[in-house]
Amino acid sequence: MGLRDRFNRLSGQTRFVVSRIFVHLSGRDVAPLLGLLNRSAREVVESEGDMQVLGEQLARTCESLLEYETFWQSAANEGDVIWDEGEAGDYINELFTDSAGRYGSAVDLASDSGEGFAIPMTQNVVVMLAVAFEGEVAELETNLADISALRAGLKALINLSYRGTLRAIQIHFSPAQLGDELTTDQLIERFPELIPL
Amino acid sequence: MALSLVWSSVACSSLEDYSTSQPAPQLPQETTAPAAVSSIADGAYPVQQVTYDDSLGEYSLILLNTAPGQSMFRSANLPLARLTDEEISAGKLSELRVENGQPALYLTPEYVHNVTATQTDPQTGQEEVVIIRQEPSFWTPFAGALAGQAVGNLLFRPQYYMPPVYRPGVALVGYGGYGRSYSEAVSRYQARYQAPPAEYRNRQFRTSGRLRSTSGTAPRVNTNKPSGSGVGNSDLRRNNRRTERARPSNGGFGSSRRSAPRRSSGRRRR
Repeated sequence: MGLRDRFNRLSGQTRFVVSRIFVHLSGRDVAPLLGLLNRSAREVVESEGDMQVLGEQLARTCESLLEYETFWQSAANEGDVIWDEGEAGDYINELFTDSAGRYGSAVDLASDSGEGFAIPMTQNVVVMLAVAFEGEVAELETNLADISALRAGLKALINLSYRGTLRAIQIHFSPAQLGDELTTDQLIERFPELIPL
Repeated sequence: MALSLVWSSVACSSLEDYSTSQPAPQLPQETTAPAAVSSIADGAYPVQQVTYDDSLGEYSLILLNTAPGQSMFRSANLPLARLTDEEISAGKLSELRVENGQPALYLTPEYVHNVTATQTDPQTGQEEVVIIRQEPSFWTPFAGALAGQAVGNLLFRPQYYMPPVYRPGVALVGYGGYGRSYSEAVSRYQARYQAPPAEYRNRQFRTSGRLRSTSGTAPRVNTNKPSGSGVGNSDLRRNNRRTERARPSNGGFGSSRRSAPRRSSGRRRR
């Protein structure tokens, strides 16, 4: 890999990195995070996906995740170095589809309370962040299923978003909003790659 | 907004003739994200119709002489080139040429074919033929370009083009941006209009999940899927090919236990 890197660099090609990070938070007080995540998502939608807005919201999301560090339960990440822009574009597109496939847009009949005053507070929240960028960021190109590595990775993401070299940004979260639940069963079934921190 | 690049597959009529007897069939408006490009074998395929959706930058083509089931071809960022005068006088019509899996669209500099219709004037009760100005509008990227000009020579080699800014009632002639690469075309467009083209901005903005629906309107089904929402955008070019990577690949990184640990090659990181 080192030799191929060097060869590609000498021939003047751009080094793209595509990376996806899963962060799973758990506890009685994680639900308010959903309010922040929804606000971020809404800003992005209102700007029609403007990359600058997306970058700002990515930074905000990472900052929120860092603030909620005491609730970190498990994590996972994957990624690759790619020298062809078209391949990177395809890969990031597939990642979006895969992330979106972990949840649905329908309201689950079984979990929809509807009656009564109690709003179920989810004990679990999963955030999936995916990015593509040019260049090299060591803190992201490693195993992030480790508290200090994840902390460093999220900080590196914040720096990246301010640097303006992000070519793709994705923010997903489950459950969708306050009142929805992400159960332990769903967690195990939908996010099998999570590794306890 | 969808634009049509319109050619008929019959021999060109004289340039003064602005009427066609049959309107070209309209492709259905796409509201979903563009499908992956259908793979097509190398070769040259005459084009019956092209529609260009400038909100996505996607071309949809109806091709002739293809294998069964391949007559619809879709692609984002299709390079365009103008057929040379020799090719045109030899009778060549607009065609899609695919070389080594790379498509490029070669066009004749046709003038716009407006669609005519016979209408009855309510006042006089008399019938008259009118030219209908309609949505979608028509884009002729190479109309008015003279082959003798220095710039004209560049037209014969496939390049990326963007239509000029749309103004209601004004025919779309020429191009708002061009370049040997897609990003160069975007830069030229931006230099001219101080804003990137719509297709670039909307490029690959995707949303998923519950974002756009309130709990009242979401479908209710019995599913074990949790709810969720997502947003994303990218300005990366796409090959629109399924990545054949073995995940995780040799160069990959991540938390998966199956991946090989990232080898430190002894090279110092910057």
